[in-house]
Amino acid sequence: MGGLTQVRPGSVPHGPAQAPAGSVRRREILVAYALLTPAVLLVLGVLAYPVAWEVWISLTSFASRAESRSFVGVANYRTMLADAFFWRALATTVVYFVVTTLAKLAVGVALALLLARPCRGRALVFLAVFLPWAYPGGVTVVAWYWMLNPPLITSYSVAVGHWKHAVDGVAGAGAYTFASVALFNIWRGASFTAVFLLAGLNAIPRELFDYARLETRSAAQRFRHVTLPLLRPFLALAVFLSFTTAFADLANVWMLTGGRVIFPVVGTYAYWLGIRSGEFAEAAAWSLSLVPLLLLALAVLFRWFDPPREAPA
Amino acid sequence: MSRGRLARWIHGAALALVAAYSVFPIYFITVQSLKTPQEDVFGSPFYVADPTVENYAELLAGPGTRVRGFVVLPRVPFVRWLANSAVVLGASLVVTLVAGVLAAYALGRLQPPGWLWWRRALFATYVVPHTILFIPLYQVLIALGLDDSHGALILIYSTMALPFCVWILSAYYRHLPREIEESALVEGATPATAFLRIVLPMSRNVLVAAALFTVGTVGNDFMFASIFLLDPTRQTVAAGLGVMDVSLEELVAVAGVNLAAIPVATACALFARGYVRGLTAAMVEGA
Repeated sequence: MGGLTQVRPGSVPHGPAQAPAGSVRRREILVAYALLTPAVLLVLGVLAYPVAWEVWISLTSFASRAESRSFVGVANYRTMLADAFFWRALATTVVYFVVTTLAKLAVGVALALLLARPCRGRALVFLAVFLPWAYPGGVTVVAWYWMLNPPLITSYSVAVGHWKHAVDGVAGAGAYTFASVALFNIWRGASFTAVFLLAGLNAIPRELFDYARLETRSAAQRFRHVTLPLLRPFLALAVFLSFTTAFADLANVWMLTGGRVIFPVVGTYAYWLGIRSGEFAEAAAWSLSLVPLLLLALAVLFRWFDPPREAPA
Repeated sequence: MSRGRLARWIHGAALALVAAYSVFPIYFITVQSLKTPQEDVFGSPFYVADPTVENYAELLAGPGTRVRGFVVLPRVPFVRWLANSAVVLGASLVVTLVAGVLAAYALGRLQPPGWLWWRRALFATYVVPHTILFIPLYQVLIALGLDDSHGALILIYSTMALPFCVWILSAYYRHLPREIEESALVEGATPATAFLRIVLPMSRNVLVAAALFTVGTVGNDFMFASIFLLDPTRQTVAAGLGVMDVSLEELVAVAGVNLAAIPVATACALFARGYVRGLTAAMVEGA
């Protein structure tokens, strides 16, 4: 970090122009900021206002039925935290994220390890594994809906109906829907994770594995002490990417079924409050309740896959 | 020897199982999409005895109405939806890659003061669930005059895909040895041509990875498309299928899924190898 403002010896052009190193670096910095502008404008420009709006609104009494909008401080948050329903929704959300992420990692690691070993037909299996992710999720969600909540008249709807009642009977109402959304996300996400981790495995020098073979007794040991640590940055990044797709898949299914997914989750309930009931302020507070968790996850993950000081390349 | 053979056999069986697991849902809907309404009710869910392409033909027949029994069903402008999806996807790709490459080069190579934090800030926006920001996002789109237009989706999709693209591209540029460009500068090239002629072609695979990731992000969205595009002639396939509402329960909808997905999946399959290489190059190799 200390070397940021310093000029690297290599960055001075070897041309005849003898500009002082400082001014070359200064121009480089200006160019860098110019190049950064489009991306920063796009990402932060589009998101800054909505996020600020949510924060501000969550501190007011804004609702479609309220006559006036006044500043109420943290009252919305206080109501939310006192609501037992909020804690149930939060628990469901956390369980959903943890379960899908762990499952995606487990399946993804298994698939990647299977595919990493050269053998006949590997290219074909690789394509098959790649397919769930490559098949656009925005439309596959319709297919998933067909499979797990089939239209009434299809030949297998009775069988699925029985199955659904059985699952709900054992695990409580909404369990089947929860499981089907989770499965959809795991099916798609594990495919992405597997390909991602395969790219990671490809980067590990073969000699390391050969050496590990001499040093360790079992495959399990080798996996724990060699493969896993080497894959760590990839795993961390995969977890990170898993969060967003988990949310997007959930939102897709929820939207598609017209909100018929009945297990409460923080994000969808916030949408419900905001769009359907017009309780904008409360909805904003609900939406933002996930932010501390996300920030925590970010902090942990940055430590894992983007340590400030890297080994020199 | 026999232990080795057993291991190989188990490995092969596991691979077959994995392939079946991955493909099954797609196989399943393909089977349904090839059925006649009669077979849909009385046939088996796992195979189709009397395949027909009528569901696909139905979609491609264009707008208008059709009559089935005593019911008049509206036809959907599916070809139009496909074209709209292609436009949105193509434009999002261009915006994301151009903005992404520029930003990544700035962060990975030029490294202005605070680049590490810019990089992290950009990446952190990836976890902001856009789905909870509807109301204010809608305000932004209206302010920009983009409501009910493709521009709205292009803007949102680009902001969703950019963080990851900037991340992997900048990781790559950061690892790329400086000498490669410097030798071009010595030959008398300007920094811009050195970048376009040498660095950009070298990062081909990483660009493929970024592009496929963008395709995945765009293809994955259903929610924004169905909320921000209301005019049926401007809708993308995802939005269109979502508002087909009653007919979502019809075989045509499943056929539509496949029809929209096959070109995308094929393109992804063609570039799959470059995708894996690109991810590897970005994360570790740097060359």
